[in-house]
Amino acid sequence: MEILALVKLALDTGQLRMSESKVDIDATPLKISDIDRSAVEEAVRIKERVGGRVRVVTVLKYGPLPKRQQEAESILREALAMGADEAYLIVDNALVNSDQLLTAKAIAATVKKLGNYDLIIAGEATIDGYTSQVGSRVAAELGIPVISFVRELKVEGNKVTAKRDLEDSIQTVEAQLPALVTVTREINVPRIPPLLQIRAAMKKSINKLSLADLGISMKSLVEVVSIAPIQVKRKNVIIKDGTVDEKVDKLIQALVQEGLITPR
Amino acid sequence: MSMTKVLVIGSISDTGLIGLAQKVDNPEIHYLVLGTGDTSQLGKYGITKAYSLTAQIDESSFAETLTGIINSNNYSVVITPASKFFKTAIPILAQKLSAPVIVDVLDLKQSGNAFEITYNGVGNRAQVTVKVVDRAFLIAPPTRFKPSEKVVTVTTESLQPKVVTGVKVVSTEEKPKGKVRIEDAELIVSVGRGFKKQEDLKLAFELAEVLGAEVGCSRPIAADLKWLSEDHWVGLSGHKVRPKLYMAIGISGQPQHLAGMMEAKTVIVINSDPNAPFFKNCDYGVVEDLYKFVPTLTKKLREVLKK
Ligand SMILES: Cc1cc2nc3c(=O)[nH]c(=O)nc-3n(C[C@H](O)[C@H](O)[C@H](O)COP(=O)(O)OP(=O)(O)OC[C@H]3O[C@@H](n4cnc5c(N)ncnc54)[C@H](O)[C@@H]3O)c2cc1C
Ligand SMILES: Nc1ncnc2c1ncn2[C@@H]1O[C@H](COP(=O)(O)O)[C@@H](O)[C@H]1O
Repeated sequence: MEILALVKLALDTGQLRMSESKVDIDATPLKISDIDRSAVEEAVRIKERVGGRVRVVTVLKYGPLPKRQQEAESILREALAMGADEAYLIVDNALVNSDQLLTAKAIAATVKKLGNYDLIIAGEATIDGYTSQVGSRVAAELGIPVISFVRELKVEGNKVTAKRDLEDSIQTVEAQLPALVTVTREINVPRIPPLLQIRAAMKKSINKLSLADLGISMKSLVEVVSIAPIQVKRKNVIIKDGTVDEKVDKLIQALVQEGLITPR
Repeated sequence: MSMTKVLVIGSISDTGLIGLAQKVDNPEIHYLVLGTGDTSQLGKYGITKAYSLTAQIDESSFAETLTGIINSNNYSVVITPASKFFKTAIPILAQKLSAPVIVDVLDLKQSGNAFEITYNGVGNRAQVTVKVVDRAFLIAPPTRFKPSEKVVTVTTESLQPKVVTGVKVVSTEEKPKGKVRIEDAELIVSVGRGFKKQEDLKLAFELAEVLGAEVGCSRPIAADLKWLSEDHWVGLSGHKVRPKLYMAIGISGQPQHLAGMMEAKTVIVINSDPNAPFFKNCDYGVVEDLYKFVPTLTKKLREVLKK
């Protein structure tokens, strides 16, 4: 089975670099967007069961490019160490801060360039974009069915059966391959690769492609005007010394002071 | 001045989104009602035309049905709520129509054929403003906006779905429904994986009862363990809350949880790990085992509040 996993190298929102008025995107580290680890894990599990190959496709969205490209390659090794066979890294100045329309076009063009495929697995949403767009967009671009928010996936022969986790229900659906599924965080617990595999991953290939290689000459339709941090000043009073009773008393005092409770 | 055509899509109760549509210059707003509902009532918000689509329809068929309508009517802005249905269908539609989708929209301004759109981005840690020309799809919570009134007559057109085969629904199993409106709660006691067993949540419920608070939770408690129904779930993918008090017990404070409670006024964190990230984002933090701390807190609060 030919499986593709879509992996975003997202801004690590737990380590955002910011000042009062500005988020410093260029200085914020990247990481594999959490749920995309579940996408890779699911792809590798299917490969382990039925055989085949897992290829990872990544469109680099953040600059400055030379620095980010190195960072991207070393992060992609983690996906390779988890059991993916190869990675495709799409790098182009026109993709920096671009919109999801162009991202999806680049991914779909890469998928076509790679030839045959059976299943594409994406995450339900990224930690930085959090838009749940790219999976559906890629499917639309390729003209294949999309099954979103999947928390259980079964592949048998040419058919996928999936349980979709919707707001009010769990919906079970079927589709013929090729298809694209987006998975939720709950679908699996991604493996943490042992050192040996991380070393072995050094030998796997990371192939770089530009938009010209993919025959795309489009520009992003969305222009970023400003990124203002949402910051909240907190008091940061830490109560850590004393007995449990003393700590409780201190907290009750704080609740009274804040006007949250009124002793009778 | 020329009109800007806007299409709002939602159920009959998502009319808050009309408030966002009214932010464009000289808008002509149409409304597509998914499901049943009396479309004539839309006239009080200046909606001149309503579409009604009552058939149960999947996301791909919905996108297929709307492609022609959006193109032939030249809608510049299309607005929907943030459900999983729309988060699946709208990107399909937008890819076909070569347009951007902006999610969690806060504000919209127009100048000529350009739209300046502000939204919660970067994992809800920043307000991002972008510029888009010609056409944009916007996704936003309806309760964020309030439409102004202007009474007109509505004409209604029934839509026939264009069905796309590809994904077949085999079965649907309803989820247990809760009744909590955590997004409206004034006081919240919220629970995380620090609780070892489902029964132990009673410690939090007892504390909440003394305080008159609702119980919230982190994603794993609702989505993974299913110890509480999803109406309790706080965070980026759950509910956004803005209580006077948010007391987080046994929650580590990952950015995706913080994204849901940034607007709480006072934040109290109870966690046994002094290095839990939540301690950097609280007003009062207690480093203690919840199993020792919470029962004692409840007991003493009962005494202080004479409950
Ligand atoms: C795209 C995306 C969206 C997400 N959306 C959400 C969301 O909406 N809401 C959400 O909550 N999460 C969300 N998550 C998940 C989030 O990243 C965290 O994994 C999750 O919030 C962790 O839940 P937790 O704090 O309950 O569990 P853990 O991270 O496991 O933390 C448990 C905490 O309990 C403490 N603890 C353990 N024992 C005790 C004890 N005896 N007494 C006191 N403290 C104790 C530990 O020190 C630890 O800090 C999302 C993730 C992604 C990738
Ligand atoms: N730049 C990217 N490169 C590769 N895959 C991506 C990229 N952006 C998004 N995706 C995929 O699309 C999913 C949804 O992303 P988003 O629309 O940003 O919430 C992610 O979980 C990834 O699987």
